[in-house]
Amino acid sequence: MTPARILLASHGTPGARAAEQAALSLCAREGTIWHLEVVPDFWKGMRGDDWLNNAITQQRFGDYVESQLERELAEHAEALSREVLDRGFSYENLSVLGKPAECLLDAAARETFDLVVIGSPRPKGTPGYRSRMKMETLVRGLRIPLFVAPHPDR
Amino acid sequence: MVYTKKHPALLIMGVLLVALAVATNAGMLDGLVDYLKIGKKTGEITGMSGFFGIVGLAVGAWHMWGKHEEGNLDYYLSSVGGAIFILFIAMIVTWFVAPWIAVISKSMGPVMGAKYLHQVLGLNYIVLGIVAGIITVNVFKIPGWAENGVRLSRLGLKTGVILLGTLYSLAELAHLGKLSVVMIGFFVLGSVGLVLFLGGRRKIPNSMAGVLSAGMGVCGVSATVAAAPVVQAKPTEIAYTIGTILIWGVGCMFLFPVIGHVLNLGHIQFGAWAGTGILNSAQVAGAALAYQPDGIETLKVAEIFNITRVLFLPLIVLWLAIWYVRREESAAGTKVNVGKVVIEKFPLFVLGFILMFALSSTGIFAPPNHYKGKYFDNDIKESKLLTEAEVALLTTEAAKVQSPARAEALARLIEGRKIANIDDDATIRGLTNAKVLSKDASKVLKKAHKVVYHTAKKIKQFRQWITWLFAFGLTGLGMQITGAAMRQAGGQPLVIGGIVGTIKAVLSLIVILLFVSETI
Repeated sequence: MTPARILLASHGTPGARAAEQAALSLCAREGTIWHLEVVPDFWKGMRGDDWLNNAITQQRFGDYVESQLERELAEHAEALSREVLDRGFSYENLSVLGKPAECLLDAAARETFDLVVIGSPRPKGTPGYRSRMKMETLVRGLRIPLFVAPHPDR
Repeated sequence: MVYTKKHPALLIMGVLLVALAVATNAGMLDGLVDYLKIGKKTGEITGMSGFFGIVGLAVGAWHMWGKHEEGNLDYYLSSVGGAIFILFIAMIVTWFVAPWIAVISKSMGPVMGAKYLHQVLGLNYIVLGIVAGIITVNVFKIPGWAENGVRLSRLGLKTGVILLGTLYSLAELAHLGKLSVVMIGFFVLGSVGLVLFLGGRRKIPNSMAGVLSAGMGVCGVSATVAAAPVVQAKPTEIAYTIGTILIWGVGCMFLFPVIGHVLNLGHIQFGAWAGTGILNSAQVAGAALAYQPDGIETLKVAEIFNITRVLFLPLIVLWLAIWYVRREESAAGTKVNVGKVVIEKFPLFVLGFILMFALSSTGIFAPPNHYKGKYFDNDIKESKLLTEAEVALLTTEAAKVQSPARAEALARLIEGRKIANIDDDATIRGLTNAKVLSKDASKVLKKAHKVVYHTAKKIKQFRQWITWLFAFGLTGLGMQITGAAMRQAGGQPLVIGGIVGTIKAVLSLIVILLFVSETI
C-alpha cells in the first residue's frame, strides 16, 4: 500500500525531521501530508508559582510566550510546507495545544488517513522539552497504521 | 463568554461544610476532637465552615439552577467554586490532617532534643496544604468548574501580605528593612552577576543567561515572568528556567525548615535565611510558616525580605534590559524606557502593606501605645489580681532585688497586686529576665505582666485572617505547580542554577549565623 493521506506529527527536532523525511519518501504521488504541530500543555502551568507580578506583567508574559510559540510553529510549518510542495504533494497544517498522544489521536479521528508518521524519542541527555509521546496511549487508540522513524543519532 | 459551569460540586461542598459546622456544634465530633487535640479550634470550625458552607450552598444553587449570562456577575460568581474548593482542602488539612500527623508523630516520641518528627520536618498545615494542592493538580487535575477560582489564591497571598502590615512596629520595620536591604542587595546583585558571569563562561545565549539570572537572583518564577520578554528569551529557555526554579523552590521549602531546626535558628535568623536563600517568594512564606506554625514572627521577617526582593525586581529588570540591548545585535538600537519598566513592574500590593502599617501606627486597630498589636492596660478584674499566696512569695524574695528602680516597681506590684504602670511593666520584665528571683517568683512576675498586656481585638482578628489567607493562598498556589512544568528543568539552567542556588543558600546561612542576632 502506498499511503496517499499521511498524518505527520513533527515539531522540528532531529527526531521529528527524520519523521518528515520518512513521510516525504512514503507518500504516494500527488498525496497529501497533514502536518500536526502540538504545543505541549505544560505551558499552561508555567506561570503557576508567580504571585508577585501585577496583571500587566502577567499578561505581557502570556502574550510574549504565545507569540514566540506561534512564531516557532509558523517558521517550522513554512519550511516543511515548502519542502512538501516542492516534492509535488499537498500540504495541510494543524496546530493544537495539549498532550502529544491525545492530540495525535484526536487529529487522526478527524479525517481519513492511510498512515500516521512520527519520530522516535530522542536519546537520553539530548536537550529538549520533556513532553514525550505516550506510545501505549497512542498504539491502543490508533485505528490506522503507524510508522515510527528511527532517530538519526541512534 | 460564560464562565459559570453547571455543576453540583459547589453545592455538595456547601452541604458538607454546613454538616461539619452542625456536627461540631452539636458535639457529635467530640471523640475525634479529643483524639486530635483540637478542642481550641471547635469555635473556628463551627464558624468558618458554617459561614462558607452557606456561601457554597447559595452560590452552588445559582451555579446549578441560575440563569448564566455573560457579564461581571457570571465572571465573579464562577470563581466561588474554585475558591471554596481551595478553602475546603485547606480546612480539612488544617483542622484534621495536620493535627492527625502531629498525634502520630508525638506517639513516636521526640526525635531531636525535645522536638517531634513533624516539627523537625515542618509537616504542618501550610506545607501539607501546599502538598495537597500539588497532589490535586498532578494526580486528579483541577476540575473545570474550579479552574477560574484557583487563580484567586494569588489575591489571597497579596491580601495576607497587606494585612501583615498591621503587625509591625516602626522599630521592627526599620531594623528588618535595613537588614533585608543589605542582605538582599548583596545576594540579589551577587546571584544575578554570578549567573551572567557563569553564562558567559559556559557560552550560553544572552537571552538564556538574562532570564535565568533574574529567576535565580530575585524572586524565582515571578522574576522570570517579568524578565523573559525583556531579554527576548526563547520558549525552551523559559521552560528550562522555570522548571529549574520550581524544583529548587519546592526542595528548599522542605529542606530549609529541617536545617533550621537542626541548627536551632531563631525566628529572625530563619526568616532572614529563607527570605534570602529560597528562590520562590511563595515558598519563602511556606518555609517560614513551616518553621513556626503556631506563630507568625518568622513569617513577618521572611515577608519583609520578600517585599524587599520584589522592590528590587524593577531595578533588576532594568539592568537586564540595558545589559541585553548592549550585548545583543538583534536588540541594538532599541531604547529602554526606564520609567515604563519601573512603573509596570512595581508591585502595587506593597503600597497596600505600607498603608496598613501607617494606619496601624495611628492606633486605628490598636491603642497608639501598642507594640506589635499588644498594649498596656492595668484596668483589670479583681479575679486577675495576684493572689495572697503570690504576693507573699514576692514579699519573701523582695530582699534579693538590689536595683532601687526594680525594688520600687516590685514594691508597687506587691502593694497593688498588679503592675502599676507601663514603666513598671518594663522594669518588672527586666527583673524577670535577670533571673534574680526563684523560678516560682519569676512565674508570678510573668503572670503579672501577662494580665496587664493585651492583644487588640482587631489585631487578633488580623492574625487569624493572615494565617487563613496564607493557608488559602499557598494551597491554591500548590494547585498551580505542575509536575510537567518541573520536569522541564534541564540543560545549562539546571547546572548554573544548581551552582548559584547552592552558593546563595550556603553563603547566606553563614552570614546569618555570624551576623544576625535574635533581638531587635
